[in-house]
Amino acid sequence: MNERADSGNVNGKEPILAVAGVHKRFGGIHAVRGAHFSVAEGSITALIGPNGAGKTTLFNVITGFYPPDAGMISYQGRSIYGKAPHRIAQRGMIRTFQITKALRAMPVIDNMLLAGSRQPGEHLHSLLTQPRASRRREAEVRERALELLASFDLDKKLDDYAGTLSGGQRKLLELARALMAEPRMVLLDEPMAGINPTLGRRLLEHMQKLREEDGVTFLFVEHDMDVVMNQSDEVIVMANGETLIQDKPEVVRADPRVIDAYLGGGGVAEKAEASPPAESEEHA
Amino acid sequence: MSAVADTLLVAISTDFLTQWSFWIVVGIFAGIYGVLALGLQLNVGYTGVLNFGQAGFMAIGAYSAVILVVDVGLSYAAALPLSMLITVGAGLLVGLPALRLRSDYLAIATIAFSEVVRITAKNARELTGGNQGTLDIELENNRFFVDPWTDASTWIGDNLLDPIGLSGQDFINMPLLLVIWLTLGALAIGLTLLVRSPWGRVLRAIREDEDAARALGKNAFSYKMQSLGISAGIAAIAGWFLVFQAESVNQQSFEPLVTFLAYAVLVLGGLASFGGVLAGTIIFWFLLEGLREIDLGLDGNQIASLRFIVAGLVLILLMAFRPQGVFGKKEEMVLGE
Repeated sequence: MNERADSGNVNGKEPILAVAGVHKRFGGIHAVRGAHFSVAEGSITALIGPNGAGKTTLFNVITGFYPPDAGMISYQGRSIYGKAPHRIAQRGMIRTFQITKALRAMPVIDNMLLAGSRQPGEHLHSLLTQPRASRRREAEVRERALELLASFDLDKKLDDYAGTLSGGQRKLLELARALMAEPRMVLLDEPMAGINPTLGRRLLEHMQKLREEDGVTFLFVEHDMDVVMNQSDEVIVMANGETLIQDKPEVVRADPRVIDAYLGGGGVAEKAEASPPAESEEHA
Repeated sequence: MSAVADTLLVAISTDFLTQWSFWIVVGIFAGIYGVLALGLQLNVGYTGVLNFGQAGFMAIGAYSAVILVVDVGLSYAAALPLSMLITVGAGLLVGLPALRLRSDYLAIATIAFSEVVRITAKNARELTGGNQGTLDIELENNRFFVDPWTDASTWIGDNLLDPIGLSGQDFINMPLLLVIWLTLGALAIGLTLLVRSPWGRVLRAIREDEDAARALGKNAFSYKMQSLGISAGIAAIAGWFLVFQAESVNQQSFEPLVTFLAYAVLVLGGLASFGGVLAGTIIFWFLLEGLREIDLGLDGNQIASLRFIVAGLVLILLMAFRPQGVFGKKEEMVLGE
């Protein structure tokens, strides 16, 4: 089940994120039972799998929200296994949530400014000793926030409370806020769910542009197969808490185990696709 | 008919409204509770931390200041800052385990802490004078905690308040009122500036959604500790004022009811507004003290109960018709869900 762990080395680069043998249990439920994959720097990687496969749990483990039970997680060559969420975020790995976490009783602009990095005014000591540095940084961060909001069509909502936005707009705000943090790697949990196709396209364009211009790496959970197959360099498939396969979209699409995982039942795979190679049994 | 009108007139005689002493007493209590509630506002209104231990922090501030002056022999200049540091330290010590709890459990843990402090003070008679307060210790050492304050108060009265022509208890209380409200105003302004800074923005984000803040690299636990520490430090100031006012310190002044009354002030004024605390505390104490003056032919116990019945009714009506409080923002309350 753990083959192709090295396939993240697209273009021969070191993987930015490497996950091996990660387990997460909740009492008797074994939600993640052997996650094994790597993500190449500057790539766009999709994480797919049927509902209950453990994708969101794995996201929570990687980003520090759930303490892992076993395994190895390294980011930019250093272990982030069991580190606190804010420490991981400070190293440039920013995530979004499946159920959007817009800060509802705060204005849109404050949501954005909050995510601005290196703000000395966020620390009591430097706020009081160097208030000018705080104000200067605030102006820079604000400028960047306005640019990002404009590109997501949210610039007219600047002073509205985030709670008054529509679900789709909140989703965009959350992504814009993640980008405010100047991330090196972004983890998106179902970014396309609930937003209209026009805005969805813009979100994807953004993702491609950031990858090309700034080399930002993306890992995203998504159920829309068109998006997964057309946007990503590689696809990781999870089922029953395990990673089954990691490969290029066209390879994954043809892999009988994937169809098997999605449709369930042992025999479906043979019927659905031609030439079933060494069939894996462990998930049947 | 006219007889009824007569009794009604007697019942709502408003003479007390023109008397200095009424307003001075309202002002002193409103001020002390205002200081307490400012700290709560930072915790509850801005950070989402349900601190119910404010009376305990007030007690630590009051007792440590008194002990440092009376037993250790320090001057105010050393004792007051030191007692504030001790209280901040206590806040952090409580926060270390308690702030890892979810909000409602945090409330229970902090109220328990506050009772531990009070009951310890009640029983550590050598140190605190137990139920009798610190009076006996003061006599033993021939050192009174309030002496330097009394000197300062007399000086203020003689030099600054002479034209008003106060006498008796009013002459003693007026300087205290001034000092309390100057402090309250300065604290409210300072805190307002603080929560408008990027630091305050992180606090509000934690109030809204701790996980979102953590996902953006903010150490939520550290910010909650800072919020609680500052609030405890402010409660210490309220503790000193209480000692100045009562001229002694007694564990009964730190019952959980004190925290609850400070919460009433907070809710009345509205969450996430320090100006609201100032308005809330004046309204609340005007009501509580004003009801004492209304002559309904009731005995002392009945009046004491009536005060709280009416205060409770006002809070219920407030919740029904203006749940955001006098100065709170309705949007923040509705959208925060």
